Amino acid sequence: MTSHAPVKDDGGGGQFTILYFASAGSYTAKQVETLPAPLPLSKLFATLEARYEGIGASVLDHSLVTVNLTYVEMPGDDESEAVIIQDGDEVAIIPPVSSG
Amino acid sequence: MASPQDGLRQETDELTSPGCYVALTHAHLDAQAIMDRVRSPAAGAIVLFAGTTRDNFAGKAVKELQYTAYNKLALRTMMEIAQAVRAKHGLEGIAMIHRLGVVPIAEESILIAVSSPHRQAAWRAGEEALEDCKARVEVWKREEFEGDHGVWRANRDGIMGQKVDDA
Repeated sequence: MTSHAPVKDDGGGGQFTILYFASAGSYTAKQVETLPAPLPLSKLFATLEARYEGIGASVLDHSLVTVNLTYVEMPGDDESEAVIIQDGDEVAIIPPVSSG
Repeated sequence: MASPQDGLRQETDELTSPGCYVALTHAHLDAQAIMDRVRSPAAGAIVLFAGTTRDNFAGKAVKELQYTAYNKLALRTMMEIAQAVRAKHGLEGIAMIHRLGVVPIAEESILIAVSSPHRQAAWRAGEEALEDCKARVEVWKREEFEGDHGVWRANRDGIMGQKVDDA
């Protein structure tokens, strides 16, 4: 999602940061971690499900996702891998908010 | 007042633009301070909303509440709301601050102050700003119940959130 070219990476070996807020953090028992990049956005939920079994139904199905502070649509299974999470990106799982 | 405020400033994240102020803080909220942010000789009214933490959810006793935020995104969203509400209602100023961390029962968790030449616009703008915040700002509330697990609340449906075992 970054507009600039990766500085040091030529397609492998990078990593992105993923932030787990509220129920996402409770489920993973962590607030932040790094995962390998690049990763197609369409593979994000499957990647998380493989690491945290059941997180899809419990958390992700009700959550939104941001990449670098911008909300993104999660691609369907049959859609292209046009959106790629890049080295250095900041991804966040945003469960339903409850300010006030 | 000078030295305590210096201390508080360090635990506060804020954004400003003309006529708009938004902030997140771990400090106690100060109604006078947030009103002073929107005070203007051109204003005939300041409306202040103070949201306070309730001691129960649907009759179930709440021990305490804890708020967390995606600070960078929450401030950006709060600023978007502030600018939109200010423009729509012709406000002189709008200021919104949300408290984070543990907020004891009956204390303020959010303050919204708006000023306008006439009171009608201020009433409407204050309500709209609050509702937009509750719908959109990336802040989460966890309610800790007496003798039970905590739950993450969701504003959009008002139902019980997900139980958490790490309380």
